[in-house]
Amino acid sequence: MAGSKKRGRSLVPGLMKGMATTARTMTRPAHTQQYPDVKPDLPPRSRGVIALLAENCTSCMLCARECPDWCIYIDSHKETIPAGPEGGRDRQQNVLDRFAIDFSLCMYCGICIEVCPFDALFWSPEFEYAELDIRDLLHEKDRLGEWMPTVPPPPALTAGAPEATEVAAANKPARTPRTRTGPAAAGGPDAAATAASPPARPPERPPAADDGTAP
Amino acid sequence: MTVDLPTPRVGPLQDAAPKPMRLVLNWGRRYSLWVFNFGLACCAIEFIAASMARHDFIRLGVIPFAPGPRQADLMVVSGTVTDKMAPAVRRLYDQMPEPKYVISFGACSNSGGPYWDSYAVTKGVDQLIPVDVYVPGCPPRPEALLHGILRLQDKIAAEQLSTRSYADRRRLAGAVTRPAVQEPGAGATRVPVAPVAPREARS
Repeated sequence: MAGSKKRGRSLVPGLMKGMATTARTMTRPAHTQQYPDVKPDLPPRSRGVIALLAENCTSCMLCARECPDWCIYIDSHKETIPAGPEGGRDRQQNVLDRFAIDFSLCMYCGICIEVCPFDALFWSPEFEYAELDIRDLLHEKDRLGEWMPTVPPPPALTAGAPEATEVAAANKPARTPRTRTGPAAAGGPDAAATAASPPARPPERPPAADDGTAP
Repeated sequence: MTVDLPTPRVGPLQDAAPKPMRLVLNWGRRYSLWVFNFGLACCAIEFIAASMARHDFIRLGVIPFAPGPRQADLMVVSGTVTDKMAPAVRRLYDQMPEPKYVISFGACSNSGGPYWDSYAVTKGVDQLIPVDVYVPGCPPRPEALLHGILRLQDKIAAEQLSTRSYADRRRLAGAVTRPAVQEPGAGATRVPVAPVAPREARS
C-alpha cells in the first residue's frame, strides 16, 4: 500500500515533466531535411567528387603516384610542336589521352588535389552519382570535366591574415638600380650594371671556428 | 522438422498482366522497402544517420524495422566485407524473400576500397550477391544513401514482371568484368616524335 502511494506520488511530477517536454517539442518545427525536394546545405569544403580541369593537367602523374588506392589512371603521349621563327627548335609537349578516377575505389583523401602542382583537380560537393552498374563509377576525363562547374569558389581569406608570400613577391616593386647617388651616376650603362650587382659574398669562416670542441 | 518449400515466384499469368497492374505492383514495392542493414564498418554510422530524424528515410518508404532478413526487401551492405564475413552475407541474402534488392554502400563494399589489396577483404560485395545500386563515397553522405534509394526506386518502377526469379535475371558481379585499360593514344591523333638532331646540326 505504502509502496503504491509512493509510486503514485512520484508518477505525477514525472508525468508532468514528460508532458512539458512533449509540449516544448510540439512547438518546435521538425529538423528533418526534405532532401530530394530541397537541396541540402552542405558544409564548406565538402568532399563529394573530384573535378578535373583537363587544360591544366600536364600528365605529370604526381596524383596517380600519390594516390593511396591507385585509383587514378592516366595515359598520355608526347607531341612535337614544330619550331616557329628562324633559329627556334622543336618543342615537345605532353598531351593527356585519358584521365580516369575510379570512384568505387577512391577513399576521398584528397591527396591528389593537394599534390597537383598545376591546380588541375578540385573538390566538388556533388554526391549524387550512385550508379546501377559499378563500371559507371569509373569517371573518364569528360565526366570529370563535367563536375568542374560545380566546384565552389575558394573560401575568402581570413581578415587581417598576412599576405601570401607569392602574392607579396609579385606585388613588390621592381628593384631600381642604385644609380642616383653613387659616383657612377653618369657612368653609363656599364657602371649602372656594376652598381646593381649584388655585393660580394663575405669571406667564409672556417667551420672549426664555430664550435669550441674542435682541436 | 524442416519443410522444403519452393521459392515463391510470381505466377505465370503475370507475364500477361496489364500495365496498370504492373504499375500498382511496382508502386507498392518501391515505397515499402523494409530495409535490413548489413553494417560492417564505419559506413554503417552513416546509414544510421540516414535513418534518424534529420534525414529520415522513412519519408521515402524505407522502413528500418525489419525483424530479420526473412522480413526484409532491401539489404544495405555498408562496410568492409571480409572473406570471413562473406558466407554470412551470402546466407542472409539467401534468406531474404524475393523480390529482393541490394544497395552497396561505400567504397569498401563497392570494390574493397582502401583495402582492395588486402588478403582478407572481399573485393566488393558484388562478388557474392547481385547488387542493384552502388553508392560511392568513403563514407558516403547520408544524402548519398537517399539518392541511392531514389535510384533503386526508379529501377523498381521500370521493372517488368516475369516468371523468372529476380535474382536470376540480374548479372552476378563475377560476370562484371571491367574493360581492359585503354591503349595509350587510342582515339587521339598521334604525331610521331621527331628524332633528335645531332648536336652539330643544332648549333
